[in-house]
Formats: sequence, C-alpha cells, structure tokens
Amino acid sequence: MRVQLTARHRLLALAAALAALAPTGARADTGEFDAYSTLFYEFGGPLEMLVVNPRANLRVDPADELSLNASYDADIVSGASVAVVDAPSTEVDAITSATQLDDFRSVISGGLTARSQYGSIRGSYAYGFESDYRSHSFTIGARTDLFERNTTFDLSYARGFDEACLLNQPRVQEAVERRRLDSSDGCFDDENVDRTSEDIDLQTFQGSWTQAWAPIFVTQLTVTAQLIEGFQSNPYRAVWLGRSAAQEHHPNTRFRYAARLSARLWVEPLSGAIQANVRAYRDNWDVRSITAELAYEQSIDGAVRIRARGRYYTQGAAAFYSDNYALMPRGQYFTGDRELADMESFMAGLQLIWQVTSGTEGASLGPFQTFRLVAKADFIHHQFPNFRYGGASVPNNNSIVGTLGVDLVF
Amino acid sequence: MGSRSSSEFPWRGALALLLLVLAGALAGGCVTVRPEEREYLADPAMTFGSEGTAGAQEEHVLTNREGSYGAGDVTGGGCGCN
Repeated sequence: MRVQLTARHRLLALAAALAALAPTGARADTGEFDAYSTLFYEFGGPLEMLVVNPRANLRVDPADELSLNASYDADIVSGASVAVVDAPSTEVDAITSATQLDDFRSVISGGLTARSQYGSIRGSYAYGFESDYRSHSFTIGARTDLFERNTTFDLSYARGFDEACLLNQPRVQEAVERRRLDSSDGCFDDENVDRTSEDIDLQTFQGSWTQAWAPIFVTQLTVTAQLIEGFQSNPYRAVWLGRSAAQEHHPNTRFRYAARLSARLWVEPLSGAIQANVRAYRDNWDVRSITAELAYEQSIDGAVRIRARGRYYTQGAAAFYSDNYALMPRGQYFTGDRELADMESFMAGLQLIWQVTSGTEGASLGPFQTFRLVAKADFIHHQFPNFRYGGASVPNNNSIVGTLGVDLVF
Repeated sequence: MGSRSSSEFPWRGALALLLLVLAGALAGGCVTVRPEEREYLADPAMTFGSEGTAGAQEEHVLTNREGSYGAGDVTGGGCGCN
C-alpha cells in the first residue's frame, strides 16, 4: 500500500511538471506527445518474468530554435529469480526454490535542445527511483551538419550517480563472508541499521558519424565508451562457493567499449529500404560480443509502413565466470549472473506503423498535424551453453516483446 | 583480472578509430548529394533513430538481458531534412 501511495504522488508530481511545460501562456509553434507501452514476457517453468514498461513523453517547441521535453517511464516487474545460484540440494533444486520478485521503477526526465543553422546542443537530466536503487543522470550533447548536410557528427557525454541498497555487514572483511540482501524493506531509511548503500559512478561518451554517400545510401558509425566505478553486483543474488553461499562479487571497475556500423539502402523499385547493423563490444571483464541485424522496411500507400527484421547476438563469458565455483573457482570474483556467461540469442519480429497526416486525402485531425500508431512484436530465443542452475539448464530462455504506441504531432 | 587502471584505456585503438573517422569524413566531403536528390534519404525508413520510443524501449529490454551495452542509434540520416 505504501508503494502504491508513493507512486500515485509521484505521478501527480509528474503531471504537474508536464503541465508546467505545456504551452499555457506562451503559444507553442509545434510539439509532440507520445505514449508507449512495452511488455516483456520471459517464460519457462517457475522462472517466468513479466515486465511492463509504460512511457509518456511531451515535447514542445516554444521557438524554432528551442525544444523542451519531459518524460516519465516505469518498469513494473513481476516474476521469480534464483536466490542462490548452484546451491546443492538433494530434494529441491535451485530453480524450484526460486523466490518471488516484484519491483516498481520510475524515471522522470526533462531536457532541452537549442538549434541554429550550424547544428544543435542539448542537455537533459533524469532521476530514477525504486525501492532499492536510485539514480541521477546528466547528459549533454552536440551535433553539427557539414558538407551541405551530407555529413553529421554527434557527440554526447553522460554522467550518472547511482546508489544501490545492501545488507549492512560492518564486521565482514571478506567477500566470501558477505550475505545477500533478502528484501528491500528498510532500504534508504537512515534509521534502519540493517541496510546500507553503495555508490555507482557512470561516465558514458558517445560519438557518431552519419554520412550520405548517394541519394539511396547512408551509413552511420557509432562508438561508445563507458566507465562504471562502484558496486556492480546483484545484492539479492548469492553464489554457492563450496561450503557456503555468498553475495556475488563483481569487480568495482568496468570499462565498456562498443562500435556499430549501420547502413541503409533504398530499393527504388519496391519503395522500401534494406537496413543492416553490425556491432562489436568488449569490456575489461573480458565480455566480448557481436551483434548482427538485418531488416527490410516497406512503405504501403504512404500511410502504412511494415518492417521485418532478424537479429543475432553472440557473447563470450566474463573472465571470472564459472558455472561451478565450488569445483572451478576463477580468482577473487564470483557471479551467478547469466548475462556474464556465454550466450547466443536469436530475435525476429515485425513492426507496423499507421500514420495519418492532416490534410492528406481530406483527413482532419483537429488540432493535430499527425497521428501515428505503432505496433511491434518480437520473439527472442536465448541459448546458454555453460550456464546451469545446479544441474538444470535455464528454463526461461524464450521471450516475447510487444510494443504499442501512439504519437501525436501538433 | 577484473579491475584495470584507467592508464590501460586503449588509446591506440581510439586514436586509430578517430583517424579512420576523420579520413572517412574527408572522403565524405567529396560526395555531394544535392538537396533535390534527398527524397529517399528523407524517408523514415532511411533515417537512423526513426524507431524513436519503441526503439529505445527495445534497447532497454535487450540491455537488461545481455552483457553488452552501447552504440545505439543516433537520430538523423544526414539528409538535411531536420
């Protein structure tokens, strides 16, 4: 009940913030409102996971050179997770002893973009909060068009200050003695001596170069470097180490690098576009991955667009990952996170967009210029060749992702 | 393994990438697609980041289920249509 009341108050605060941004006294020339909801459902035996992610965003342009935006999004999580990975048991395995997980995360953000004939600069702030985690994030960025706007450069820098809740264990000296957090009750409550918190600092640099090479061919190269310092384990997850279980223990520093090359080619006879992306990633935990994606987008009568795509992802495990730390320890760190194991995933999906523009074929949308309806569905299959819960393979390795959204341009 | 000092940032790789981008951009400067030729480049199917909120939400899902992060779409198609 406490969570529901708190969430309601926060929604009211957001509504007030959106109202403050809305064009009351000053008339906005243009703007856009969109509301989307994504449903992620991962299924398989007792480890089902359901995440609903609603999001609303409002952008107003009080002048040609300025845009303001505010948004709210949430993650409503319900499912089950394995508390002690690889726990030995003769009667119940680690999966059937999974614990129920419910979480509600909110993010409120706002920002502005200023434009000129030479390019644009932007800045934004986001505050995320949930029962056991808080985050503040600041982002600045700039972009410029060169060579008769055939070339675009974009640079951004983001700084994050996060805080995670932990079990307070002041007498524990070694990571192997640290117990996991079993509940978020009392987190961020100064009077609760059983809880403490750890900081996580994030810095993210990103640059991109977009180039039109021909009237039907454009590419984009994007490079990201991220530095995360601080607590990066899951405080709820413990790993069986042979004689006892301890809260998983990840390194405190993570450098992450990713580069992606994207290309889009217009197929004139079909009035559609082929879209291809390849991404390479690595970090100093020795996780390496390649992502390849191929899509085709077709326009039908100008009002309907349909996009079909496939995606393949392959990843190598972190250097300190082991499927059994009791028999095969890997140094001072240990993890029960399947996202740090060897992994492959296959994804296929369709997207449908229906757009009506005021004035086109007599359509009237009142105060709005454009109405857009977006529906999207994807199926994902994961494979974990060397990740097991005890002796059991990962049961929840299939998932569906569905998105429904509306855009209104005024 | 694990923690690594900031002095181990791959400066040589970053410098090589920067030089590659600069060389490419200079080469791109030799290419001229005139405004009247940008009809197809202005189509949403040719515009990076045109998936908007739906694309951001999908990236959010994937980032939470995979060990990788970064190099997502940056809005724009270099078509001068924005």
